Amino acid sequence: MELKAKLKEFICSTLGVEADVLEYDTALFGDSPIGLDSVDSLEIISYVDGEYGVDMTGVGKEHFQSIDTIAAYIEANK
Amino acid sequence: MTDNKTRCVITGLGMISAIGDNVAQCWESVLGSVSGIDHTTTVDTKDCYSDYAAEVRSKGWDSMPETEGMDRVSKLCIKAVAEAMEDSSLEDFKGDSRVSVIMGSCVGGVVSAEKYYTVKKDPALIPQMPISAIASQAAAWCHAGGAVTNVANACAAGTISIAYAADLIRAGKADIVVAGGADAFASVPFAGFTSLHALDANPCSPFNHLSGITLGEGAGALIVESYEHAVRRGAKIYCEVLGSGVTSDAHHITAPRPDGECQMNAIRTAIESSGLTEADIGYVNAHGTGTAKNDEAEFLSLHTIFDGKNDDLSVSSTKAMTGHCLGAAGAVEAVFAVKALTENTVPPTLGFDEADLVTLKERAGKLDFCPNTPRKKELNTVMSNSFAFGGNNASIVFSKQQGNVKAAGEKKRVAITGLGIVTPAGNGTEKYIEQCRRNSIRLEADMRSNVGKEEYDKLGLKMAFYRKLDHFSQLQCVSGMYALKDGSYEITPENAAQTGIIVGSSEGSLSPVCDFEMLIAEKGNANGSAFKFPNTVYNAAGGYLSICSGIKGYNVTATNGAQSGLFSVAYAMDVIRAGKQKAMLATGTDENNEIIRELYSGLGLAADEPVEPYSGREQFSLSDGSVSLLLEEENAAKERGAKIYAYAVGSGAASCGVKFGTLSGSGEALDKAIRAALEDAALRPEDISAVVGFANGHSAVDAIEKSSLKRVFKEAVLGLPVISVKNRLGEARAASAALGAAHAALLLNGDITCEEAYFFGDDDKMFVYNTDSRKLERILVISYGSGGSYSAVVISR
Repeated sequence: MELKAKLKEFICSTLGVEADVLEYDTALFGDSPIGLDSVDSLEIISYVDGEYGVDMTGVGKEHFQSIDTIAAYIEANK
Repeated sequence: MTDNKTRCVITGLGMISAIGDNVAQCWESVLGSVSGIDHTTTVDTKDCYSDYAAEVRSKGWDSMPETEGMDRVSKLCIKAVAEAMEDSSLEDFKGDSRVSVIMGSCVGGVVSAEKYYTVKKDPALIPQMPISAIASQAAAWCHAGGAVTNVANACAAGTISIAYAADLIRAGKADIVVAGGADAFASVPFAGFTSLHALDANPCSPFNHLSGITLGEGAGALIVESYEHAVRRGAKIYCEVLGSGVTSDAHHITAPRPDGECQMNAIRTAIESSGLTEADIGYVNAHGTGTAKNDEAEFLSLHTIFDGKNDDLSVSSTKAMTGHCLGAAGAVEAVFAVKALTENTVPPTLGFDEADLVTLKERAGKLDFCPNTPRKKELNTVMSNSFAFGGNNASIVFSKQQGNVKAAGEKKRVAITGLGIVTPAGNGTEKYIEQCRRNSIRLEADMRSNVGKEEYDKLGLKMAFYRKLDHFSQLQCVSGMYALKDGSYEITPENAAQTGIIVGSSEGSLSPVCDFEMLIAEKGNANGSAFKFPNTVYNAAGGYLSICSGIKGYNVTATNGAQSGLFSVAYAMDVIRAGKQKAMLATGTDENNEIIRELYSGLGLAADEPVEPYSGREQFSLSDGSVSLLLEEENAAKERGAKIYAYAVGSGAASCGVKFGTLSGSGEALDKAIRAALEDAALRPEDISAVVGFANGHSAVDAIEKSSLKRVFKEAVLGLPVISVKNRLGEARAASAALGAAHAALLLNGDITCEEAYFFGDDDKMFVYNTDSRKLERILVISYGSGGSYSAVVISR
């Protein structure tokens, strides 16, 4: 499965987000309808580390903005 | 000054923690600045970034008589209770119904859950898992015969249990309450806090490094007693218990409000209800966990409240010595607060080096955080604060002086003004009424409730919120929000702090706990889920309900078996009658899923075919649901023109401890609970026109109900309609108990007019007849808790 599709699948199945409102460029955190928070980011960090061997601990917020930005970070740091 | 009738005192102390097996040892450690934190050897720390814990490492303390087979948490609890009773010169209570037991806990019997999923699925472990077991086992151990419950509000549980103890005594419902809290260190909390990155990689240093907590374990027990009772028996009196404050954040499930608003409300309420001012507090035993979010919020609260009003305030966190004992924390720290007061000694906050002291000076301002070593200080009044997951805040005041706690005054009338009903047959009060009218619900062997997008949209709940909820919390949020909607009760900035919640649940979050345990058993303690862990705390559902409704007042999750959903109504009545809140949501919620079904099947209790009440079986139809009742002080309800279904006019609770997981032999406690409820309502048995019972088809449960009703109602029992909600919807534990109260309100309001009821026959058999509910004036609702404790509430037109 493509990287972004896998990230989306993870966010929907683990973090309870409904697939029909989640596009690759949808804002994930803050006041967005998705509304991920720091606890969710821990799950994403753990998943990305386990799946792709990329450690996102302490990485700037801008990389967590959307599936696009997370995927870009993974690609750049694999 | 507080009048003698209203005065509550502490007459006994007991504790066990990483720094000692008893109060004397723990206090000696405090005086010696000894920390109990060390590398753990009891849980697997492979790949975990921290391996520190403050465990009870001494040997031999856990071989007390009559505690064999109990979970470590109950043994810790009973160890502290035994010491407190001895300290207070109390012996076995011999079933005294004026003695209650209220215990706080966060994770309950997780050691048993761990054994069950990692060693062997031994059915004997199952009854040891839920928090419900702790107070019940402690009460059975000392033969306390009054109300028995656990407060499951995570890290604020211990403090709330003491606050509730004092309230029960002031309401005239107990002379002595054995109060406190207990929690054991185990893989679930360790892996959970690891997943949240909330553990400090080093021993925690509250108000200093702000880099996380270190988990501890232990128990604290306090004998809370009415002053007059203590004087009558010549008890040694440590100090007064003055006011308390309990609030909820309506903010986030794990993080405290950064603005500290509701923390401050709890602290201010505690001071004001003590009849004191900020200047009167000499020492605060702070929550002080060591995480940045907690400590920063607490710095802010303390500075905002005390700066300029109290230049001589000492504050410390004893968690650097005991670790964070979670549900025991408030109890252990209350014992330290009382010792500080009576020994005129401020316990230290450990872990500051020279550079840290410079930073502390900047953060502390005029507050004295008593770094590293204890300090002698003449103390008159002290405070203990606890803040928890779920956004719960609790604060309590102990003093050498009488303070000025106001007497409860005349009992306020409590109206039922809203109902939220979620059952396996559907959701919403209107739907339930319609189904009852058409008699269209069919009992099944295994029944499960469902809520989903339809309900969330109807209630205006957004995905960013509801995506986080586990099933238990989903059921609770939907029924709670339905009750507010049904009661046309809008939460506003004006009434948010005057509105509270009591969630009642038998198993609470046991299913998420087991789910989490299975996850870490498979993947290791380093790989728990940060998303799932917050839902393992029993008060998560109440916390979520506070967040989605905006309710900022009292927030307690009470768990004492199936009766929890009725006990919550009684508890909420007490809160309103004491004038602490204008309105309360009282709920009963329990879930049925594969995990819960496996546990009930393991006990041989889950039937494979529908089981009706009084059918003489050894099993029941396992079910679930959530029912919330909106209770309001009558005048407040009338002022806003609320629809009033009925009134909750009296409540009673009693226990006769038998082995947890059983009931037989405890029936007389049900008599006592019923009589206490009648007395509270100033009624006689003949004033009762029907009973909503708790029979579920299991012969032992049904026999208790039948024999007690015969004893209480005597020959009049032959004409007494006994109404069931379980003949349609099975055994949904707390949800059934709360539904019993809601159903009674609907009958009395005429929403349901004709009802199939059971009647006693001459030969002890029960017969079903239709009864006309229009003739019903007052309905007695009863329920039971495993281990032999009971609740009764009278609902009146």
